[in-house]
Amino acid sequence: MRRLIFLLEEPSAEAMLRGVLPRILPEDCSPEFKVFEGKQDLERRLTRVLKAWRTPDCAFVVLRDQDSGDCHRIKHRLVELCRQSWRGDLPVVVRIACRELESFYLGDLSAVEQGLGVSGLAGKQDSRKFREPDKLGSPSRELERLTNGLYGKVAGSRAIAPHLSLNDNRSHSFRVLVAGIRKLTEAS
Amino acid sequence: MQIESIRLKNFKVFQDITLSDIPPFCVIVGANGTGKSTLFQVFGFLKDCLTYNVGAAVQSRGGWHELVSRGHEHEHILIELQFRLEISKVQRLVTYSLELASRDNRVAVAREILRYKRGASGSPYHFIDFAFGQGKAVVNEDDFNKTEEELTKEAQNLDKPDILAIKGLGQFQKFKAANAFRQLIENWHVSDFHINLARGSKDAAGYADHLSVSGDNLQLVANRLYTESTQSRGIFDKIIELMKKRVPGISGIEPEPTKDGRLLLKFQDGSFKDPFIDKYVSDGTIKMFAYLLLLHDPAPHPLLCVEEPENQLYPKLLWELAEEFRGYANRGGQVFVSTHSPDFLNATRIEEVFWLVKQDGFTQVRRARDDEQLAAYMAEGDQMGYLWKHGFFPEVDPQ
Repeated sequence: MRRLIFLLEEPSAEAMLRGVLPRILPEDCSPEFKVFEGKQDLERRLTRVLKAWRTPDCAFVVLRDQDSGDCHRIKHRLVELCRQSWRGDLPVVVRIACRELESFYLGDLSAVEQGLGVSGLAGKQDSRKFREPDKLGSPSRELERLTNGLYGKVAGSRAIAPHLSLNDNRSHSFRVLVAGIRKLTEAS
Repeated sequence: MQIESIRLKNFKVFQDITLSDIPPFCVIVGANGTGKSTLFQVFGFLKDCLTYNVGAAVQSRGGWHELVSRGHEHEHILIELQFRLEISKVQRLVTYSLELASRDNRVAVAREILRYKRGASGSPYHFIDFAFGQGKAVVNEDDFNKTEEELTKEAQNLDKPDILAIKGLGQFQKFKAANAFRQLIENWHVSDFHINLARGSKDAAGYADHLSVSGDNLQLVANRLYTESTQSRGIFDKIIELMKKRVPGISGIEPEPTKDGRLLLKFQDGSFKDPFIDKYVSDGTIKMFAYLLLLHDPAPHPLLCVEEPENQLYPKLLWELAEEFRGYANRGGQVFVSTHSPDFLNATRIEEVFWLVKQDGFTQVRRARDDEQLAAYMAEGDQMGYLWKHGFFPEVDPQ
């Protein structure tokens, strides 16, 4: 497979992936990003994008935040939407960030330290809060508090992502995302 | 500084509005003619009242009849701000209230009050209280142990009834609150950026602390960062790195003194040997560079107002620009932005967004946070700009 197309709900997801993908994708596979304006926009256009897709030899990753919804139900609905437009020739993987993209960063606080140039965070990784960041209600607010307002979604994601460890991240949803991308690219 | 609330009465389209619990980064949307610019004019107007006098500030805006709400010409104009301010090393919630009246075709200050609470409890106390050029001001604000009866009040006469007491008294150190508030307003920055004034070589003489309101000292500000210290050079280099990411082709920017004692900016395009001088660089490039200089200013203005920052800029850059405005507010300056751009709005949070609605000739303010439907969608992962574009802000669209 030559191209991996990411369907995303916000620009910070693209910034994150740009920092992580060079370490995951095989050399002959290049990523592309379609960034929508939030949840409704992504869901509304998902089937149309897939149905009318022309370029052969592509695979898709749909990534959105869980936010306040139910993780399994959201995933099920997105999978269902993909199935409605399924053409058989396009592998699609759906992944949910629980509850937000920022859980990925809270799952590897030493990456946050390095990326944003703040100190004294990595030691907090074993505290109850950051052992399982996917369980936090609002990781983005948490990260902002932790970095004293230094974290902004796009610039922060761009700074942190290259430092994110692929194997040692406390965010379960991050590990599932990485595994999903690997599986897609290996299968081809 | 952090303005907590604004109350306006009879100020143009704002016949009677209150904005309360204002966030550090405040974004306003609204159809044309609903008063986005007018809201920002309030800040410019107060600054002019202080710099010159009330009469001149009103006159330069077309006189009383243009400033006062239609049909309310015989009433007072009220501008009331509530803000957090450090006075004698303590953060206080201060209220500044200014009432203007027109008498025999002359504009005068009908009432001017500066009040704050001296302790956690107790009613707010008037530290400045003037009407028509006469009034009283407290001089021993430092003595917080004294009861109100023991505070010394000095009767004062201002030269004219259209001079602000904070101007007349603010220059004296002993009036702490007036002094602090005066300095604050003097540092407000209501941006009126003109790309054509920002371009071209500029007289290198002089010192530019901040980017000017029109942007006409862009070269001087850039040069100061470039040459002043290693720290300022670090900021300059960071700005160049951001420019490289946002403007294709840009590989460097340098201020250059010319032989005749002027200063210009050279924009290097990686594909060509010779740089372009600022006169020939695109509008958007100049504007993005100016915003970055403004937003990465090591000493932020206490208040920054920018109208429609999206103009001339590529939509994809707006999300990060919005984050930079928020970062500026976090570093200590409050930011007000008006916008017509869904892309800019997509980067905002629900508590940051207000919109203006015109009803029977006058404007009302609505807040996104107060709308249950919007709050529900945002909690589910939608974005403000998308919701606005698709008609989820009640009454915002032109009918």
